[in-house]
Amino acid sequence: MKLHHYETIFLLHPELSNEERETAVEKFSSIIKDDQGQIVNIDQWPLKKLAYKVQKQTQGYYVVMDFGAPGSAIEELTRNFRLDERVMKFMTTKLDDEFDPEEAAKKYAQKETKESQEQAETSEVDQEQKED
Amino acid sequence: MQRPQQNRYKRRRIYVRRKICRFCADKSLVADYKQPDLLKAFITERGKILPRRVTGTCAKHQRRLTNAIKKARIMALLPFTSGHAIE
Ligand SMILES: [Zn+2]
Repeated sequence: MKLHHYETIFLLHPELSNEERETAVEKFSSIIKDDQGQIVNIDQWPLKKLAYKVQKQTQGYYVVMDFGAPGSAIEELTRNFRLDERVMKFMTTKLDDEFDPEEAAKKYAQKETKESQEQAETSEVDQEQKED
Repeated sequence: MQRPQQNRYKRRRIYVRRKICRFCADKSLVADYKQPDLLKAFITERGKILPRRVTGTCAKHQRRLTNAIKKARIMALLPFTSGHAIE
């Protein structure tokens, strides 16, 4: 099965506890992994104020997942997001038709090393160009 | 008598420096919907997208910028209008 490179962002309800959020993130990453997907990175943002009210809430927890998966995994992910009361908003962007796990992981490995900051920025620019 | 009029006309044409695209000037800068603080520089107080002639952004980057702003709005990272904004 062919894997594509995706990025999914979803917004979790502000009243969820740490553990409840972990459980939710675990559930959605399992959906990807169960369909032969590979997770590159999961970024959980701290509680953030929203630009406008969503389901009467003024803040929420954003989670960004960078991964490779077949198209069928996105369908399953979307179906689950829609049914899940913990999820207030979600959006998936296809970053690239091709998924290269090593190339995708570089972005995060380099970000941790301050010395290669410039290289990380270069790879981000490359990725942006692919998006077009 | 004609001369002073011409001069006045010329004086009115104030030279405006052509602004350069921020994304072209700084290659590390990327229009990303996940960075609402950067995108805020390209919208009005009411939340409308500023035109290229105001910000000086090139056509290519303006296209990416509007896509990023629209995605950020969908995800509640940026307002659609100031009307629904949370103070
Ligand atoms: Zn530009």
